[in-house]
This record gives sequence, structure tokens and C-alpha cells, in this order.
Amino acid sequence: MSTRMFGSGIKRREDPRLITGKAKYTDDIKLPGTLHMAVVRSPHAHANIKGIDTSAAEAMPGVVAVYTGEAMNLPIPTGALIPDCNLITPEHPSLAKEKVRYVGDGVAIVLAENRYQAQDAADVVKVDYEVLGAIINPEDATKDGAPQLFDDVPNNVAFRWLMGGAENQEASNKVFEAADVVVKERIVQQRLQPTTMEPRAALAQWNAATEEMTLWVTTQNPHIHRVLLSGIIGVPEHKLRIIAPEVGGGFGAKIDLYPDEALACWASLQTGRPVKWTETRSENYVAMTHGRDHVEYVELAATKDGKVTGIRSTVYAGMGAYLTTFGAGIPTILHALIYCGVYAFENAFADVIGAFTSATPVEAYRGAGRPEATFLVERLMDKMANALDMDPTELRRKNLIPKFEDGYAAPTGVTYDSGDYEPALDKVLEMAGYSDFRKEQEEARKNGKYLGIGVTTYTEICGLGPSEVNGAIGFQAGGWESSIIRMSPTGKAQVLIGVSPHGQGGATSFAQIFSDGTGIPMDDIEVVHGDTNTTPMGWGTYGSRNAAVGGAALAGAITKFKDKAKVMAAHMLEAAVEDIEYEDGQLYVKGSPDNAKAIQEIVLMSHLGWDMPAGAEPSFEVSNFYNPPNFVYPFGAHIAIVEIDAETGTVELKRYLAVDDCGHQINPMIVAGQIHGGLAQGIGQALCEGSIYDDNGQLLTGSMMDYAVPRADMFPNFELDHTVTPSPHQPLGIKGVGETGTIASTPTVYNAVMDALKPLSVESVDMPLTPYRVWEAIQNASNGGSA
Amino acid sequence: MELTGKYTFEADQQSTWDLLMNTKAIAAAMPGVEELIPVEGAENQWRAEASLKIGAIGGTYTGVISMSEHDEPSKYRLTVEGEGQASIINGTAVIELLPNSDDSNKTTIQWVAEANISGKLARVGQRLIKATANMMSKRFFSALAKMLESDSTE
Repeated sequence: MSTRMFGSGIKRREDPRLITGKAKYTDDIKLPGTLHMAVVRSPHAHANIKGIDTSAAEAMPGVVAVYTGEAMNLPIPTGALIPDCNLITPEHPSLAKEKVRYVGDGVAIVLAENRYQAQDAADVVKVDYEVLGAIINPEDATKDGAPQLFDDVPNNVAFRWLMGGAENQEASNKVFEAADVVVKERIVQQRLQPTTMEPRAALAQWNAATEEMTLWVTTQNPHIHRVLLSGIIGVPEHKLRIIAPEVGGGFGAKIDLYPDEALACWASLQTGRPVKWTETRSENYVAMTHGRDHVEYVELAATKDGKVTGIRSTVYAGMGAYLTTFGAGIPTILHALIYCGVYAFENAFADVIGAFTSATPVEAYRGAGRPEATFLVERLMDKMANALDMDPTELRRKNLIPKFEDGYAAPTGVTYDSGDYEPALDKVLEMAGYSDFRKEQEEARKNGKYLGIGVTTYTEICGLGPSEVNGAIGFQAGGWESSIIRMSPTGKAQVLIGVSPHGQGGATSFAQIFSDGTGIPMDDIEVVHGDTNTTPMGWGTYGSRNAAVGGAALAGAITKFKDKAKVMAAHMLEAAVEDIEYEDGQLYVKGSPDNAKAIQEIVLMSHLGWDMPAGAEPSFEVSNFYNPPNFVYPFGAHIAIVEIDAETGTVELKRYLAVDDCGHQINPMIVAGQIHGGLAQGIGQALCEGSIYDDNGQLLTGSMMDYAVPRADMFPNFELDHTVTPSPHQPLGIKGVGETGTIASTPTVYNAVMDALKPLSVESVDMPLTPYRVWEAIQNASNGGSA
Repeated sequence: MELTGKYTFEADQQSTWDLLMNTKAIAAAMPGVEELIPVEGAENQWRAEASLKIGAIGGTYTGVISMSEHDEPSKYRLTVEGEGQASIINGTAVIELLPNSDDSNKTTIQWVAEANISGKLARVGQRLIKATANMMSKRFFSALAKMLESDSTE
């Protein structure tokens, strides 16, 4: 037996081109005759447009055309039409016509011969604004007297969603009334700016002769872009080709079809020339979607001996100025359905109010709803442990759902696929030396050193998802995936996939699955993705669905591939199909492995078609479309150890340990890489990241000088391990892992800081836990104590 | 954003006032400004163009400067409405001329300004605006002071 490719931590085949600068991103693609587009963006958070004077811009050198919103009708749709919550979906024009609603809202476009001319001309487009009041805080936005963004959206309330309806609310009230202990917290899930290495870009090429439009674009889901764009710009889907070349990170912010992308296509239609738009970093920070932005009031109920019975919340979720693709789905479905985490709570309830604010629209950001949920659950578990004077790990252990291999029905209405939580907790506690740490912490406290530990046990819902569930929850998309295996006569394989990896290493891991399943060598396999003309329809890459759903589609294709090969082999070996064995790329009659046909020979003979079995198709191609029967639920336990300098408020992350269970791992090195990246972003939220707007709705964190992306020197070496609990329904036993790092790490680090500050009587500090905020909290607490 | 500051001239209150009302002198002293062009049909209003660099954002800004609430020789209001570089700057300042009680040949200028900044400048240059404003007002007043000195030596 050769070494299995599945499970092997081989290096990513994408990396040589990526790290030597040879990869081609959208902006690297050059077409002759290209016009460059610059977008004139609102400098105001909220204003009426009284008039736009484009004459000065039109007279600038190199300018070909200037267009305002009056010239077009390109509304951007939302994709999450959540039922039973009175969702209002105001029109989102690609260029604002009567009103701008956030700093960065587009009002005009300039097309010029080069990028600099376009930007210079954009700067002299004169817009006459009547400035209106700004509103940034989603809770304040719903109050009487707040500036109103839309005439037909009273109090800026986009929707109000009660999980499980009034009936569940009543059940929740009963649980809380019967509780011995209730703990409460106000949590601000600060707004975050997804910082992709590559900002957004689009290059649209309309060919009037063939009536075909090609769009190279920074997207996570080219097929969704094709569906939406065809509706907006009127080029039918069969004449519209979307290509996602190399895409430098998305984290959810490249799911949406953006106004700028529709505008580039429309402009190419108008001018008959290719149109390119590439944003700058500061443009990206106002015009690419943001993440999180909740103000939450959360409560946890328990008996006095530590049995947690219920959890409930009131959440004000900022939508920003317009509803994004997943907008209303994030703080509802993707958030509250995981409120029970890994615990056997009796009841969970959420009252979620989606509020329009005069800020950049909010979309999925790595984890999308689940980091917010896990944060509030884990924050409350620590508060409850304090209230009951219990060790926080013991409170968690006491409430863990016992091991289950095929289904646990949570009170939120979802069914977890499989879970075995205690071994992960035990493992991480042992790695950290938890009991010794408590002694060390006590000693340190005597010496004026503030050490803290945070322990999180989590599960999450990912691998989106069963299509019928999508239909029921109003997601305007399917949740299935696809794979085509196309063999050439010489036995080389193209694996065409509907998902669209953009940093996840799919070209490597999908090749590993295929090589492992068929015995075809890695070097003979090319994984193709990100082009609607070559790949089968699929729904793209988000929600940790690449391997979980796309991998399952490929697994099914491999089964069909082997069945097809066996039919041909049986014919060539003059045997019955059911007697054919397929092993390591060799097909033979059971018991006669010496007289084998190599898969390459079978593929060649199938292509020649000289002598096919009756009813068999020539050539060698199989396709598979896979609709998952359930989501997947990876889980794990994380620990952070911090030390706080009480003089300066600086938090030093001393150790970070993560035991994750994503079922079987295709490539442990890629899994570790995903966890590393997720941890960095999650810890970034806890310690340094956050958008800051002033009272006029101006984004003050509008450059990388001001928005605090975490840096490598903030982190210790992450200590990772795993357990393996296969998903019972995923054919390869895989669960997703792309988002677990961000989901678990924010509360883990936060709780560690609060644990460290416990002797100083600090109970709550809003994130991010910057030195100033921590220092201030220490000062306030000590002043309060002495008063 | 509130901006405050003061500067002491080696001149009496009336001479200082006259200097501050002299638009040619002001234009010459203002960093990056070539001239102040009176707005037709308006009193005490001028159009100006300035080349400035604030943080990473350098370029041309255009705007209208108005003076009002004259209370010669002790107080007036200066209003600026400017834009450029995808940014909008609005500000108003009350400027007081305080005679020095010990030395009639010294006058202290004191100002309190409220500035609103929108657009690219707000998100990229905000941190630097106070420092830049302080630096520019220092340059402005010291340039004016130099003119006073050269006048007095003539």
C-alpha cells in the first residue's frame, strides 16, 4: 500500500506562485483598450443629493465619460429574506440617486484612459449635498428621534426576529422565572473591517460582436455573481462569464455582488471597451462590507448547583446602510441557532432587531454570527461560574452534552451531527497544565502580577447547507455542491469544482481527495475552480463549506468514477462487474491482482471507444451534484493564558492552546493554517481591532495606520492538537474548519483577561481590550473600591 | 473637533487688528495660499486656493473664507468652507485680540475654533489634523509677525 494522500500534510501546491509574486490577481490582467473607472464616493454619512455637476470632470484630460445614478437602474439585491420577521428590503441602487447613506456610498463614476486620470477627475465631480444627521450605533438607531435613513423604514428597524416566536419567548420566561441564579451582561460586538490582502477589483469586457460579457472579479462565489449580474445588467447567464482568478482573501466580504462590479459591467456595455476598477485600501475600508456590529443584552439562567437551564438575548444588530447578501441572516439564523453551544440547556431565546445605520453595510465576516453567539455563551458561562463560585471549567463540564454519534436535537431546532466534547476539554486542560496554572496564578497575584486563563468549549454550525433548509430560512440560493471529473486520453485528470477557494488551499486538498480515491498520482491532477464557463454550477466558498460540502460532492463523483472504471475493466478482463476490485489505481478480478488493468489504460480505451461494453458511454467523465442532508458541527476547546501589566493595561498573550475536532482531516497542515489565521483574526477582535466612527459618521479607522490589524509579534506560538469525531453524514467524515479559530478565540482571550483582572474587581470592558481601555477599567474599579 | 491656540504679537492692539484685516498680508502668510480673491457681491468674503499636505494627503483645496462679527479692534469671527481631495472641511473660529496689560506693544491673539472634517481626510488624516493645524497657525502668525517687524523697521 502506498502512503495515503488523504490525511497527509503535504505542502500547498498554490504556494510557490503565491509567494513568488507570479500569481495573477484581477488587477494583474491587462486588456488592450481598457478604460479605468473611479467611483465618486460620498464624504457624508447621510445627506440629500441636491445636484451633481460633472462638467469639470468631463473636461479633464483622458476622461471618456462621467455617469451618475440617473443614467442607470442597477439595484443590488439582498439574499437573506428571513421569514416571519417583517423584513423590509429598501432599494439599494448601485449609485445613490436622491440620498447617500454612508461615507463611501457611490454617487458617480468616471471612465478615463488611465487610473490616475479617472481618480483626478472623480475628485472634481461637484456634488451639492444637504447634510443630514448620522447614526452609527444600532441600538440608538431604533430610538425615537434618531435620523431616519429610509422613509418607509420606521425607526430604522429592518426586521425584528423572535427565535421560535412568542411561544418560545414564553417558554424562555418560564425557565428564567424558575432559575435560582441569573447573570446578565451587555456586550458590544464591535464593528470590524475585514482586511483582505487584496482589495476588491473588477475587469469587465463586453464583446458586442458575440454579445458576451466576461467579468474578472474578486469574488468567493462566481456562479452567484453570474445569476445576480445577469438580472441586473440584462446580459443572459449563457452569455455571461465570471472568472475569479487568484483571490487574495475574502472572509465573507467578497460574497456580495457589489455596486462597483455591476457598474464596471454596465460601463463596458455603454462604451464597448473593457472597464477596470481597482480600489485603494482606504476606499476598501469604507466601501467593502464590515462585520459584527451588535449591541447585545444577554442573560443566562441556572440552578444553584450549576445546571444551566436557559439563555436569552436582546440583540441590536447593525445592518449598515443597506442589506447585504447575507445581511439579515447573520444575526438571526447563523447566530442564535447556536446559542446552546456544547451545553445541554433547556431553552434558548433571542429577540433580534436589525437596524439600518448610516455606516458601511455589514456582511459575513469569518464566522458570521457564530463568533458573536459563542462569545456571549462563553462570556455568560464565566460570569455564571463566578456567581456560583464554581471553577469555570467545572461549570462547563457539568453542562456538556454527553457524547453522541448521530444526531443531537438542540432546543434551538437544529440537529448537531456528532459530538464528543469532554475529551477535547480534557486534552486542552492537560496541555495547559490547568491545575498547576491556578496555583501559579495565585502565587503571581501575591507578587502583584496579574495572570489570567480563559477556557472555551464550543461547537458551531457550518458547511452551508441543506438546500431545503435554505429555502425554509429565506436564503435565496441552493446549498448543494458539484464536481466534475474529466479525464484526458493520456490519463490526466481535471477536477472541476463548484466551490471557489481563495486562500483555503482547495487546489491541494481536492487533489488529495481525488488521488486518494482513485490512485491517480497528484502530479496528474489539476483542480479547476473559479470560472463559470469551465466549472459546474456551485454556490461558492463561505460558511466553511469547501471541504464539507464540495468535498462530499467530489467523494460522490469518485464513487461514480470507480463504478464507471469497473464496468470497462470487467469488459476488458472478461469478468463480472461485481468481481472487479479497484485498488491504488489498478483494477483486477478478485483474487488475481497480477492480471490488472491500470486506470490510465481503462481511460484511454474508453476515449478510443473501439470496444465499449454494451450501453457504456465513450470518453471518461463523471459529474456529481451533492445536497448535504445536514450541516456539520465542528467543535473543540481552547485556552488562552494572559498576563496584564496593571500599570499600563497591556495584555500579553503568553500561551494559546487549541484542540479542535473537524472530523477527518484531509491535510493537517492546511487545517493548522486555517486555525492559525482564524485565531489571529479572533484574537484581533478581542485585543485590538475595531471600527471607530465619529459623531458625524466619519470612519476614523480608514487606513491601515489607524485600523489595528493584529501583528505577528502579538502572538505566541499556537499550541494545536485535535480529536477526531467524524461527521456521520459527510461521506468523508469531514467537518468544516475555516471559521473555528475566530469563533472560539475571541471569548477565550476575553475571558482570560477578565480572569486576570478578577482581583481588581473589573467585571466588564468593551472590546477591543486595548491597553487604554484595560488601564481605564482598572482605574475605575480601584477608585470605586476605595470610595 | 475643537482647535484652540494663542500667539503674541509685538504690536499694539490696533496695529495687530489692521494687519489681520489686510487680505494681502494674510494671503502671503497663509501656508500654501497664493491670493485671496474677493467674492463678487459679498462683503468680507474671499475665495482661496491652497496647496496643502496633511498626513499622506497632499493636493489642492478650494474654499471660501468669510469674516464677520467685527468688533474692532478686539474680536471677529472667521469662517472657512473648503473642499478638495474628496474631503470637506468646515470650520468657524472666534478670534480675540487681547492687549497686554503690562506692555501696550504686545497683543495676544487667542482663538477657539470648531472644525468638521469629512471624507478622505477624516479617515486617513484625522489623527494628524490637530498637529497640522497647530503647525500651520504657528507658521501663519509668525509670517505675519515678520511682516510687522519689517514694517516697523522701515
